[in-house]
Amino acid sequence: MNLRPWYNLLLICLLFLASSCAQKPVFKKHKTVFKVGDQQEWATKNWNDQDWKTRKPFMEDGQIFWFRTPIAILKTPESLHPYGIQLHVYGEYEVFWDGVLIGKNGNPGQEVILGPEGSLWTTHSIPTHLTQQGEHLLAIRASLLYFGDHAGIWDMDIDYYDDLLTDRLIETSYMHIFAGAFLIASIYFLFLFLGHKKEYATLIFSISCFLFFGLILAEFMKTYVPIHYSMHVTRLRVISFLMLSISFLIPFYFSMQFPFPKRKLLLIIYSAILLFFFLSRYVYELTANNMVFSMWVFSFGIVTFGVYKKMKGAHLVMLTFLLSLPIAFLAPFNKSLFAGFSLILLGMFYLLSLRIKEQRLAYENSLVQSTRLRLELLKKNIQPHFLMNTLTSLIDWVEEAPDKGVLFIEALAKEFDLFNQIENKTLIPITQEIALCRSHLKIMEYRKEIDYAWEEEGIDVEQKIPPGILHTLLENGITHSLPLEDNSIQFKLIFESNKDYKCYTFLTFAAPVRQKANTKNEGTGIKYIKARLTESYQEQWEFTSEPVNHGWKNTIKIYS
Amino acid sequence: MNILIVEDESRIAKRIERMTRDILGDTLQSLKYANTLHEALQFIENNSLDLVLLDLNLNGDSGFDLLTTVVSESFHTIIISAYKDQAITAFEYGVLDFVPKPFNRDRLEQALNRVNTKEKVATNAIKFLAVKKRHKMQLIPTEDVLYVKGAGVYTELFLAGGKKELHDKSLEKLEQLLSPSFERIHKSYLIKVSEMKEIIVESGSKYMAELKNGTRIPIGRTKYKDIKAKWF
Repeated sequence: MNLRPWYNLLLICLLFLASSCAQKPVFKKHKTVFKVGDQQEWATKNWNDQDWKTRKPFMEDGQIFWFRTPIAILKTPESLHPYGIQLHVYGEYEVFWDGVLIGKNGNPGQEVILGPEGSLWTTHSIPTHLTQQGEHLLAIRASLLYFGDHAGIWDMDIDYYDDLLTDRLIETSYMHIFAGAFLIASIYFLFLFLGHKKEYATLIFSISCFLFFGLILAEFMKTYVPIHYSMHVTRLRVISFLMLSISFLIPFYFSMQFPFPKRKLLLIIYSAILLFFFLSRYVYELTANNMVFSMWVFSFGIVTFGVYKKMKGAHLVMLTFLLSLPIAFLAPFNKSLFAGFSLILLGMFYLLSLRIKEQRLAYENSLVQSTRLRLELLKKNIQPHFLMNTLTSLIDWVEEAPDKGVLFIEALAKEFDLFNQIENKTLIPITQEIALCRSHLKIMEYRKEIDYAWEEEGIDVEQKIPPGILHTLLENGITHSLPLEDNSIQFKLIFESNKDYKCYTFLTFAAPVRQKANTKNEGTGIKYIKARLTESYQEQWEFTSEPVNHGWKNTIKIYS
Repeated sequence: MNILIVEDESRIAKRIERMTRDILGDTLQSLKYANTLHEALQFIENNSLDLVLLDLNLNGDSGFDLLTTVVSESFHTIIISAYKDQAITAFEYGVLDFVPKPFNRDRLEQALNRVNTKEKVATNAIKFLAVKKRHKMQLIPTEDVLYVKGAGVYTELFLAGGKKELHDKSLEKLEQLLSPSFERIHKSYLIKVSEMKEIIVESGSKYMAELKNGTRIPIGRTKYKDIKAKWF
């Protein structure tokens, strides 16, 4: 497989990540100070806030409080391009820049009366004349009805107002295209699974893709869906749950592709660890980190085992895991998460395509095998040993005793007729197979002039059997035996069944041919029988063939 | 003639027997029928034979082990087999004829006549001469044989590299099999035509054939004319 496109893709990803981190900020944020209470003067730039506290207050009842943050603008904006400020602040608030109200998010102080309003992430434009290079002051008048301990600025950015708005939208739209690809993959593999219900790996891959799609959506929907700060935890819970599921499914998938000893036990232990991280969440990022980290370690272990055991595809998956490692160190968590996950999903995708290819090959092989078996069955009657010897005998009968010759021809016709009926079947009624054996014996009687006898015991006429296998045993019996003293050879077919298995015993009563000990390599006849049994019963059969006192004994056991 | 029929199909064996008796008439001294490999080998060991009529596929065995054994013996072998594709191999090993099944009286008679009339195989197909060693058979490629010398009922094979092997077949029988790449130049010598370098006339009008390796082999007075006509 050509890996070059993969390397190129990776390089582009890394460059993209590096360039997005490299932008220089245009501002510097100083320490924030807090004061509970409400005075309009607190918004002014030069208010003396010496007595304000640096510790975050714990707010209750939706009371008003203020916090002030001095900010240094490092670069005056170009004219006609106002700066904007983007805030990640809990609560409902009004934003003042150098004493001027520049934005409002919800109704501070009136949350109980008016209900939740506003969003957790807001962007406000700052008038150009207030953003000259130098010291400025950001004052926020806020109330915090929910999560009273979350006061303060969690994150902020100052940049050109247009860029602040569009950058996030562009990023979000790219991520949504990305998510769409996974949604389509998910649907495609779901349909694939529905068409072929046994392939659980396909289903798991489909679910993983869908969950990943959900994860991207949950992460980036904040750009265009206003989420009130009281709803924030709900969103985080959704994200956590999605990550938990993905973190479980990915190693589970690999455990199916690269089976290892004590799989169940290890998977249970792993799920317990994941659940522990999931339930003991103090800080969201830490929980997610732990889950993703344990997912990586566990999956990596499985893949390493796969590489060690030289399982197909393990090397490339190993590579994706190793690639996700530098990304995790180089990029911020939320970015490396998506890059890493998608790499791993690509690895899974690759494995699945390998398996699909294997299945197709196996299917094609089975078709070839069936055709081969069919031909082999057909060949029984035209292979020279049978046909030419029969014809020679036939000529002799016709020349010497025409009446008998006619009977011989009739027996031959009957055998050909029976072969025609079963030629393209994989299973035939046992009665038909017995009829075939009987007609074959008749022919051989004319050829070998031995008294052949056929006996049956306990035959269930409802049973089916692959065509030609008893016939093959009979042929072997005839070829490898000499008649008893009374010039007879007897064959006996016994059928037994219970709830576990059905068993055919095929006995030959004859004198054995003295043979050299070259019975090690099995003849084509035995191979044919085994191939037919595998074709119809996969591994659920057993075949034995051994000499016994009275001649030969074959057993065919078919497990139910 | 003493004949052994090796055939595991009783009806066919009877047919061969009936026809052989019919064709050979009084010249047939004894005829035996064996239907297993084991029986056949035992009979060959303990009886002197002139001809074996052999089916190569006995009781599911491919008969090539038996083939190497029989072709090393003093008698001629005719194969009667259902597998026409084995004919080439059989001739390579040095059988006198290959009769494919189903056969009729004429074809069998043709084969039996080869034994009687000393007719040559003339297929140039023979590739090996099987030689009996102490515990096994050895196949000597006919390429390696320079000339053959009659030694009573046996023959000596003179090989390239100076080696010598003993063969159970008479010179007459080997001549039948090795012709036409080998030429009978003397009542006791059969030489490979391609090895012959020149004919030397020695004093007392003795004719000698010189081989490429320098060996000189006498040419029979009666044979000289034929050879001269053929070669010069």
